[in-house]
Amino acid sequence: MTEIRSGRARATAYVRPKQTSRAVRYADKAADIVVTVGGLFVILAVAGIMIFLVQVVVPLFTGGSLNESREYTLQRPEGASLAILTDDTNVLAVEVLASGKTRAVHLPTGTVLASPTIDLGGQKITAFSKSIRSDDFAVGFADGTVRFGQIGTRSTLIKASDLPPNLVRLNDLDQTDGEAVFHRRDAEQFQRTTFSVILNEPQAVAPAGRAIAQLDYRVGGTVERPTRSFLTKDGDNVLRLTRAETRVNLLTRRETTTLESATLPAMSGSGTIIGALMTAQADQVYVARENGEVLRFDTRDLGVPKLIETRRLTADGVALTTIGFLIGEQAIVVGGSDGSVNVFFRVEDAAAGTSDGHTLKLAHELERQRAPIRAIAASARNKAFATADATGVIWVRHSTSARVLMKLGESSRTEVASIGLSPRNDGVVASDASGRLRFWAIDIPHPETTLQTIFGKVWYEGFPEPAFTWQSSSGNDEFEPKLSLVPLIFGTIKATVYALLFAVPIALAAAIFTSQFVHHSVRAVVKPAMEMMASLPSVVLGFIAALILAPIVESFIAAVVLVFIALPMSLFAAAYLWQLLPPASALRWDGLPKFMFMFVVLFSGCWLSYAAAPGFEAVFFAGDFRSWVNGTAGSGRPFLVLLLLPAGFLAASALVRRALNGAMRDRVRQLGRTRAGLVDGLCWLLTLVAGAIVAFVLAYVFTAAGWDPRGGVLDTYVQRNTFVVGLAMGFAVIPIIYTIAEDAMSAVPEHLRAASLACGASPWQTATRVIIPTAVSGIFAAIMIGMGRAVGETMIVVMAAGNTPILDWNVFNGLRALSANIAVELPEAVVGSTLCRMLFLAALALFVMTFVLNTIAELIRQRFRRRAVQL
Amino acid sequence: MTTETLTAPSNAVAARRRRTFGSDVSASGEPAQWALGGALALGIVLIAGFLLLVFWNGVATFFPKPIVALTLTDGSTIAGPIRRSEEFRVPPNELASLPPPVQALIRDDGGMAERQLIQIGNFDLYNEDFRWVPSYLVAGASRPRDLVLMERLEWGPFVGRVKQVVEDGRPLADGDPLPTGLDAVHRKARDRWQQIRRIERGDIGVVNHDIDGIRLEVRRLELRHGPDHERVVAARRAAEPELARLRTQYDTLAAEARRLRQEDARTTITLADTGGREKSMRLSEITRFVPANDLSLLGALGVYFDRWGEFLADEPREANTEGGVMPAIFGTFVMTLMMVLVVAPFGVLTALYLREYARQGRIVAIVRISVNNLAGVPSIVYGVFGVGFFAYLVGGSIDQWFYAERLPSPTFGTGGILWASLTLALLTVPVVIVATEEALSAVPRSVREGSLACGASKWQTIKYIVLPRALPGIMTGLILAMARGAGEVAPLMLVGVVKLAPELPMDGFFPFIHLERSFMHLGFHIYDVGFQSRNSEAGKPMVFVTTMLLIGLIFVMNLAAIVIRNRLKRKFVGAQF
Repeated sequence: MTEIRSGRARATAYVRPKQTSRAVRYADKAADIVVTVGGLFVILAVAGIMIFLVQVVVPLFTGGSLNESREYTLQRPEGASLAILTDDTNVLAVEVLASGKTRAVHLPTGTVLASPTIDLGGQKITAFSKSIRSDDFAVGFADGTVRFGQIGTRSTLIKASDLPPNLVRLNDLDQTDGEAVFHRRDAEQFQRTTFSVILNEPQAVAPAGRAIAQLDYRVGGTVERPTRSFLTKDGDNVLRLTRAETRVNLLTRRETTTLESATLPAMSGSGTIIGALMTAQADQVYVARENGEVLRFDTRDLGVPKLIETRRLTADGVALTTIGFLIGEQAIVVGGSDGSVNVFFRVEDAAAGTSDGHTLKLAHELERQRAPIRAIAASARNKAFATADATGVIWVRHSTSARVLMKLGESSRTEVASIGLSPRNDGVVASDASGRLRFWAIDIPHPETTLQTIFGKVWYEGFPEPAFTWQSSSGNDEFEPKLSLVPLIFGTIKATVYALLFAVPIALAAAIFTSQFVHHSVRAVVKPAMEMMASLPSVVLGFIAALILAPIVESFIAAVVLVFIALPMSLFAAAYLWQLLPPASALRWDGLPKFMFMFVVLFSGCWLSYAAAPGFEAVFFAGDFRSWVNGTAGSGRPFLVLLLLPAGFLAASALVRRALNGAMRDRVRQLGRTRAGLVDGLCWLLTLVAGAIVAFVLAYVFTAAGWDPRGGVLDTYVQRNTFVVGLAMGFAVIPIIYTIAEDAMSAVPEHLRAASLACGASPWQTATRVIIPTAVSGIFAAIMIGMGRAVGETMIVVMAAGNTPILDWNVFNGLRALSANIAVELPEAVVGSTLCRMLFLAALALFVMTFVLNTIAELIRQRFRRRAVQL
Repeated sequence: MTTETLTAPSNAVAARRRRTFGSDVSASGEPAQWALGGALALGIVLIAGFLLLVFWNGVATFFPKPIVALTLTDGSTIAGPIRRSEEFRVPPNELASLPPPVQALIRDDGGMAERQLIQIGNFDLYNEDFRWVPSYLVAGASRPRDLVLMERLEWGPFVGRVKQVVEDGRPLADGDPLPTGLDAVHRKARDRWQQIRRIERGDIGVVNHDIDGIRLEVRRLELRHGPDHERVVAARRAAEPELARLRTQYDTLAAEARRLRQEDARTTITLADTGGREKSMRLSEITRFVPANDLSLLGALGVYFDRWGEFLADEPREANTEGGVMPAIFGTFVMTLMMVLVVAPFGVLTALYLREYARQGRIVAIVRISVNNLAGVPSIVYGVFGVGFFAYLVGGSIDQWFYAERLPSPTFGTGGILWASLTLALLTVPVVIVATEEALSAVPRSVREGSLACGASKWQTIKYIVLPRALPGIMTGLILAMARGAGEVAPLMLVGVVKLAPELPMDGFFPFIHLERSFMHLGFHIYDVGFQSRNSEAGKPMVFVTTMLLIGLIFVMNLAAIVIRNRLKRKFVGAQF
């Protein structure tokens, strides 16, 4: 004691320092940081997936943005403005005036550049028309002549070293030689932009002295055989249509032009003609009157132009102020004096009573502007267009999405003279009579998408009515991509439903059997084998499904259909036969031998369906399944009997059970096992027969009522169809559902099972009344997780589903799923394009769908686990 | 019911007693049991059938099949191995054109007849590889010993006879069925061909790579300093002699290749099909002679293993339908390896964080559910994310900063093996997290507490006590992740897999591992050959073998996971308190 008190130095043993060594502390601290940062990083990365997808998708819905707006007050022009055009980099705008003068303006600065005057020989232009997509234009004169030509801007790339000397600087990027604009592209390249106009010799169309008041000019046909058509209206309201077809002789290279001309029939009624439109093939002519009436002529046969219909396209008391085509010439935009802007399609409608079976229908009603519409400028790339009203306000709109993309300008007194939408839809120019020139640089990356166009029905040109359509590309330039996700979501759901219809019964039944009726040594083999199948690459399943399974199913379709009936039937029959065994043998062969017998029954069932298939096909499908399912052969009645058989059987067995209840049951119990089994089997057979009779009667009644099982779920057979997809995808999903359901049932505490068995319940009663009710939430979670996998499955649907985006439930037709669509189209999609973003949206939709499914499943599963522990 | 029991208790007792002795058949639910058992049996049969189908086709593909020469009723002959046969419904118009007795026979069979798919080969002569021959058109069949199937570099196999082989203008003596000494001559021709290829691909490739490197160096300087900067001019001047040297080198090599080609063209072979149509070509264009009707079992086995060797070690030919899959195996392997290198640390770190460091509460529960769910998010979604985020966003930025001289052709800004493995790492990280967490939670609390009570720090406890015991679980998770990653195709289609990669992601040029390169993959190979090739019938055997390889790979990984788990588990048995 004293020793210790006297000093520490005398301690007998070595005392470890009480402090943790520095290295350990630092290691601990470092590990702390690394683990925390790393863990949080992964969690963030995972959350980042969703955020990233959303961020890519959002621009689809944000509409347009105004980058800059400029306003220049220039000298008052000589003569009325006919048109205004810009080049595709928005550096040069050119206005064409009735006097033949032109005015070129450098848009970023408002500098007026020198521009050629069109030599008209002293005449004044009375009518002007330019095609939407090309530089072709036509002008009409007071003396009844028409001249054609090309007008537009020309751009060439030149090297910096080739720049001409003495250029005047316009701004940081642009220089000019007084006429052309040199726009810097990068360090080495400049783009030279000039305005050019070519005018051909005049052609007399109207009688001399009759001025051309309206003109519409189109270039159509092919490159080898171009057709030029124009429609003129002279001062006497006589409409004349002329079509010139040029053929180039391949040997002599000589061009021959044939001219055909027709005068449209005189129109009844009155009203000033506001505009006249004509399609490129010159087969339809539309004449719009101020009172809102549009007259449609059929001019396919130029010899006899016919008036087809006269329809009022504006509301009562509203005057029609402008009319114009959008590209593709299927949609007509009509502007009214009340500021209304509506888009009409010519659609097929037999009920309309017109002689060509078509009529004009209002397809899109767009938001109304505040003042009468004065001008329309259609885009050369898509269905966007700009409308200017009487107060000078300009709205940029999109026909298909019925959206107002931009609202430009403020209302003022001066009316707009002409407006133009730049070739890339990224700028709008407007000039007015006072000499004011306005320019807006806009950016509308995705004008065609709204939630409505993606998830709702959309009326596209050429369709008789609004529809859900996915068609993202085509060879045609004027093609409008049709991007509705609905057919794809439908395809995903269809594939999932059919796959689960196949997979869920098999997987759950197998899981129940494995967990309740099989020796654990069998389970120890079967379960890991099934689990391993879950990691089978789906590309392999897809390949087998498409190249092996699909042809087999196609050639043995009757046998395959029969298997679905024959297998359960032969299993049931075998079970009833098994009951006839003496109890001793039944006990001895219980377990593995019985399981082996099941395999035997399975194989004989399959063989039976193969052997009986021709007869089955002859009785139920009129000898040929494929023509039966088309609806071209046989009647639906025999198959209806088959469909109603389960219902009939259930009804009959309910009746039998009720009739045999009580006394009969007790008596059967006393018979002894074999004889009781015999009675039971006979009873089953009788019920089956009774069920068949019920089904037969019902089928007669239904057929008499005109109901046919074909059409709808059963229809025309295609080789790569949903049935095959269902089988293959079912095969992919079975292991997952099986494993999770089996886990859930095995997790039911053993004492529950033991208690039930101890109370005298048979294993079957224990399974149905104790185990399954306890595990039901786990089983449900298994189905949900299986569904999640089926929804996202890609390769099987890509390979075996035929990839047709259609909306029908037909098992024997293909489908296009969200996942397959992404896999097929994303590699070809241009980065940042609408299609690309739509595919990201499809991925987001898939992500959300599976995330919701899995979250529900996970929550249910956790609850089940907690409950199982409590039990 | 209560009244019944009250008024007639003796009855109820009697009924109960009777029930004990009676046999209630419905209680055992025999039919339902059979239905359940049938479902399990069906599942097993489906799986076994599937594996058997793949395995059988995969194993049998390379075994040489006898060449059958068929004489048709119209007098013509065709020859080739029989691929398969099937029953088919004779189309009505064809049926009508047949002689009446044949018609009657077919009618007796219910309008069905048998037909065989013959691999007639000789695509350059016939414009088709395969022909269905209905049995009623066959007049006679034989297996002539001198018919040979020749695998060629182009146009698919040739089925026919060897007319003549000319070596350097000297014809070889006829033999039976192949000319004598053909083996040696053929080997020489093939060696020469290999040499040409080595020069054209290897040596000239190196020269081209060097020239390109110089060009890029100059371009980088240009971008940094402007085109007329003195350093650029200096670099250009400095590169001149080097370029000239490389060009001469190129010319020498090209001349050598030309000489070899001319030499090669002097050794030719003339083939004739069964109809006598002849076709001459260079001997080196034929890769293998298979006199299938004249082979002993040993010879057949030789061909069989030779074909396996080619399959595993060679590059693909003929739009991937022939040759080997070595680049695909290599690509799959490298990608999976890189994926594991990424996924292992991050997966384990996250699981450690969730289980050992984070405060267990509502938020961690939510995170855990989300991580679990991510395992169920479709792989294609990861693919979309991978291409959008990794390739376009990250890769695009890398290109702008470091590879500006190569723009506009992207370096990292497009799909590549790095992005593919990162995408798959993201896809499989939930698997690893879940497995690791489970393994960590299985380490008994008592062990941890014991360690902490002995004075170990948290990290020491984790490092020396928890992690070693959790290792089996972690390994299992990793291997399962590998198995999943190796079999995934859909996301790879978006982030860098190609049908034919010109270069492997590893080669002899600095920096040896090219993470930006696109690569080939076994799974995509299956999709490509099965679906995108000119003739899916020609590719089918190849697809089956590839499928077998892929499934085998994945099953081996799964098995390894199970074995490792069991072995390590045993090691720690009894190590609990």
